[in-house]
Amino acid sequence: MIYVVLFFLGFSLLLYVLLAGADFGAGIVELFSSKKDQEITKKTIYQVMGPVWEANHIWIIILIVILWVGFPSYYNILVVHLHIPLTIMLLGVTLRGVAFVFRHYDAYKDKSQILYDNMFKMASLITPIFLGMIFGAMVSGKITIPEHVENESFKSMFLDSWLNIFSLLVGFFFAALCAFLSATLLIGEAQEGNEGIYIKKSTTAIICVVIIGFITIAYGFFNDVRFVLDFVKSPYAMTAMVLSALLLIPLWYSIKNARRIKSRAFAGMQVVLILYAAISTHFPYLIITSTRALSIMEGTAPESVINVLGITLIIGSLVILPGLFHLFKSFKMIKILER
Amino acid sequence: MYFAMENLDAARLQMAITLIFHIVFACIGMVMPFFMVVSHRKWLNTRNPIYKTLTKSWQKGVAIFFVTGAVSGTALSFELGLLWPEFMKHAGPIIGMPFSLEGAAFFVEAIALGFYLYGWDKLPEKFHWFTGVIVGVSGVASGILVVAANGWMNAPSGFDYINGEFLNIDPVKALFNPAWFTQALHMTLAAFTATGFAVAGIHAYQIVKKRNITLHKKAFKIAITFGAIAAILQPISGDISAKDIAERQPAKLAAMEAHYETKKGAPLYIGGIVNEEKREVRYKIEIPKALSFLAFGDFNAEVKGLNDFPKDEQPKVAMVHYAFQTMVGIGTLLLLSGILFFISLKKKKWSNTKTYWLFFTLLAPMGFIALEAGWIVTEVGRQPWIIHQVMRTKDAVTPMPGIKYSLYLYVLVYLTLTVAVSWLMMRQIKALNETEY
Repeated sequence: MIYVVLFFLGFSLLLYVLLAGADFGAGIVELFSSKKDQEITKKTIYQVMGPVWEANHIWIIILIVILWVGFPSYYNILVVHLHIPLTIMLLGVTLRGVAFVFRHYDAYKDKSQILYDNMFKMASLITPIFLGMIFGAMVSGKITIPEHVENESFKSMFLDSWLNIFSLLVGFFFAALCAFLSATLLIGEAQEGNEGIYIKKSTTAIICVVIIGFITIAYGFFNDVRFVLDFVKSPYAMTAMVLSALLLIPLWYSIKNARRIKSRAFAGMQVVLILYAAISTHFPYLIITSTRALSIMEGTAPESVINVLGITLIIGSLVILPGLFHLFKSFKMIKILER
Repeated sequence: MYFAMENLDAARLQMAITLIFHIVFACIGMVMPFFMVVSHRKWLNTRNPIYKTLTKSWQKGVAIFFVTGAVSGTALSFELGLLWPEFMKHAGPIIGMPFSLEGAAFFVEAIALGFYLYGWDKLPEKFHWFTGVIVGVSGVASGILVVAANGWMNAPSGFDYINGEFLNIDPVKALFNPAWFTQALHMTLAAFTATGFAVAGIHAYQIVKKRNITLHKKAFKIAITFGAIAAILQPISGDISAKDIAERQPAKLAAMEAHYETKKGAPLYIGGIVNEEKREVRYKIEIPKALSFLAFGDFNAEVKGLNDFPKDEQPKVAMVHYAFQTMVGIGTLLLLSGILFFISLKKKKWSNTKTYWLFFTLLAPMGFIALEAGWIVTEVGRQPWIIHQVMRTKDAVTPMPGIKYSLYLYVLVYLTLTVAVSWLMMRQIKALNETEY
């Protein structure tokens, strides 16, 4: 049953990265648009995201609940040692969500819109950066879990693990990835004549993804970040990376020609491959502290709990997934079905 | 652990403030869909455009409150761990079941809301209406599940606590802990009462101001009907809760009643000023033997006083007692007002007076004040325990120092959110009043 639970953990992570990622990206695309394009983007993302964005963000709640119920020791390390970036990320999620709703549900469209727009755009950028930083902190071997708390300074226990260049690079990488996902999604949603905006954005974003990704790996490699050293040695991760590099060619082609289904499929594949490469490098040792690698299988909840959790997740998914599928279909988020 | 005391107070305050705000957002987001679907049904049945306007206006309210509730709930799901890592490490697996089911219910709610908000003129009419019903039902289900998890903190069950370890965990038994039903019933009725009177109060104010009277009278009637029925049923649930607490958490009961001396045939105190140092209550109204009767159904039953509990297992009396008095006092007021509303349906001329509408306007915040007071009783009354008789709150708090800064940040964010949401609601009402038919 533990594998069922692990599957759902990975599944929710993937969907969160894909769906919420595209959602964060929408704000980033809007942020980096000219004034005229911003208005168009604002309208388009409301049409695309409006009905589904709330559901997209629930994956992180599912993720966190699975973690605390099934893997309490792991959860404990995250909430104690990454308290600050988690809080900032939460703040971002909060401000972004309310800004999105406020700007569309405010009864009057006046100057307050400027405030909502800025809040939405800034939070859309900061949140994925911090999400990336949290992942960077988990794997870069800088989390310090001392035997005697008294001997450690605040900085070494609560700041150093995430406030460093490697984590920041991972953060920027994830933000660029979100922007890329979103821009690619928007190509197919834009009204006629506007596709050009998103083709340009999508191309810029994928270039950023590749460059930042390269810098991140190079920085990690030359600064002996253990995750990167293992990453470049891992056959699984490298296969995934080579595959993702090869897929760049058809991706580029389908974006240029505004093939909305193909470009979405290739963009999704990129994310799946990157996520797979990142997770598979150390799986099941997903947290690397300054002294050792911690397996997610250490300190799992007792079997009785895992069994109940697994069954709950299976039943829950039987209720939720068809509903979610139908929601996406009804609002034409799944274009393939129309053909 | 350094700064432990200061940190503990800051963490408790942050948790309290986040919950105080979240409860308001969550209750409105959970109950308002019911008003919305009733109005929607009336539109489908009568085709009176006023009901359509009202439904659409309420749905905007639902959307705004749902999102605010959802994001503050997301924050809370993290805060549990961020502030109380030791609690979550042990309790997380045990009370995982209500939380994972709650996650599922919440997901269903978000999906249904997506259909509802964006389904106008796109979905078949009946199906569209039905998605609104699902929003309400799954919202209430989420509420009940979260309260069940809180019930477990008051009535821990489904595990054996041996030498500081939690063994033989049974998540199903933990979900159906002895407190889950009484608490869930009390809270659900409270949510309907508070939201019903709050929404009704806002519409009553519009009637006082003579704005769009036809619409606001219809809105008032839908909201107050829910609120009044819940308020009238609440005392039954209150009585079940009191008897339950008397049995399981006698220290909490003693604090609620400011009852220091163990007595047979204990009197019930109404009001009074608590002196925690001298351990006495002055200026109270005393009803002989009433406490024994209310707690145990027997006028001569013995009620254990706080003096007979170890000193380090006693909650703060004054706060719990005052909060309890506030809750019961307002509960009674709302019960009577609910009855008054039903009588006014017969005596039509009452509702033609300005006093009538002014009265219901003033009641608008009352339900929520009572609801918050009730949570203060539950939470402060359980102290010093985070898990009753198993884990102390001070042993659960995060080792990270400087929580007070996080507290300031949260207070700032939630205050801003409250101001923003209230302002948006005012603008919604203003726009509604400018609608032409």
